[in-house]
Amino acid sequence: MSFRDIGMKIQAAREEKGLSQEQLARLVGCSQSALSNYEKGKRRLYLSQLEKMAEVLDKPLEYFVESLSSQHHPQPAIDRNERFVKLVNHLSRLSDEEINEVMKYISYLEWKRSGGD
Amino acid sequence: MDFSLTKEQRDLIESVKTMAAEEITPFALQEGSIHKEKMLISLAQMNLLCPTVPKEFGGLGLDLFSTALVVEELAAASPGLAAVVAATLHAAEPIILAGNDQQKKEFLPLLTGSKAGAAAFALTEPEGGSDLNIISTHATSDHNGYLLNGCKDYVINAGIARFITVVAATNMRNKKASLRIFLIPDHVAGIKIEEIYHTSGINLAPVGRVRFVDVNIIGQYVIKSRQAGSGYLLLTQTFDVGRALVSALSVGIARAALEEALNFAENRMQSGGSIKKHQAVSFALADMATKIEMARLMTWKACWLIDHGGDYSVASAMAKLASSTIAQEVTCLAADIMGARGYIKGTLIEQLVRDARVLSTIEGTNHIQRMVISSQL
Repeated sequence: MSFRDIGMKIQAAREEKGLSQEQLARLVGCSQSALSNYEKGKRRLYLSQLEKMAEVLDKPLEYFVESLSSQHHPQPAIDRNERFVKLVNHLSRLSDEEINEVMKYISYLEWKRSGGD
Repeated sequence: MDFSLTKEQRDLIESVKTMAAEEITPFALQEGSIHKEKMLISLAQMNLLCPTVPKEFGGLGLDLFSTALVVEELAAASPGLAAVVAATLHAAEPIILAGNDQQKKEFLPLLTGSKAGAAAFALTEPEGGSDLNIISTHATSDHNGYLLNGCKDYVINAGIARFITVVAATNMRNKKASLRIFLIPDHVAGIKIEEIYHTSGINLAPVGRVRFVDVNIIGQYVIKSRQAGSGYLLLTQTFDVGRALVSALSVGIARAALEEALNFAENRMQSGGSIKKHQAVSFALADMATKIEMARLMTWKACWLIDHGGDYSVASAMAKLASSTIAQEVTCLAADIMGARGYIKGTLIEQLVRDARVLSTIEGTNHIQRMVISSQL
């Protein structure tokens, strides 16, 4: 888990709730650019800020900090398939620019898995 | 951002300076626990062991900017003593930031008033420090609270702390996300001080290894006990605050080295005049003073952002990275100016060079600071 991972969870929860960055930023009392940086993992979140987001997004705090390393544990096939479907649904709603961001992150994950060389 | 000091802050600095000149500096280079105890009593009498504790719990209620001023003054007099204070501040920070009323009432007064003691923060382990994925200290929940087992290493204030703020995982399959911060009073059964190290510097601060064997921790001694997932964020936030204080400590060490070298250069006669008149020396002194000013301003900026609710993570990491590096450079430059005198054991400069060595290691190594900074660029 890193702040990048937490940021991705914020973005996913925001989209699930149907909120734009501007709307969520207004609800939690930060600027849209700050929220954008939180989602990209380029700005550190503090506990009180994430508590506010968790409340607005109706998620327990644990949801945001649950390690993405849980992906290292084998998931049941059906769960994995369901997640792929959900992922494709999410991707289909993204703009070209946002898809490029996702591609960049996938490249980063592959680079990290290969040992970061 | 205004860094002009208020009258209260100037008075505070003056009172710490006076106390340090009378009760710390004369004994700072002497070995022995009697002096250390006297110095801690002097600090406690001024309520300076943990100046950030709010007034309602017996503290001075200082903001971080004023606290950094105090830490710089103490470090200029005795880096070890300043490390005792910085470690205590670090241990108290999670309580001040996120503790409930009961935790504040029970633990914070231990650090205040004329009978105040120190506290310790325990994260690093024999097998790892910054990588939280390999933390092995774990707490398993039982009907009453938690059962803690594990070993923490290089704990500053080991053996003198009234309580230890311990970081442990509660789920070994998902360590980072399950981190919790536990408050453990010194009298609880199962705490064993395995070793107090003979360190190269900051000698007044005891640094040791602490083992926890089946330590029972009641639920009310867990910060944010009902909020799973809060530990990691609270930990990173605590470090961001702690880094600003290590930065202030670095400035104090560097300042002491500059003052010693300047005094020497003004009084050391060579070729018919003081060596300060030689450009090789005066330029070095100018560089030292300039770097210290840079370090101090970066420290103050980080503290200002913390006090004013700004985004301080990068500022704190940059301040710690710059100030610790500068303190190491300046102490070595001071030793160069003093020549052979700076190499004699028991002299101030020799001690300061060794004190400064720890600065790039504690509160996250300087490579960790670079990772924190670069991740937010």
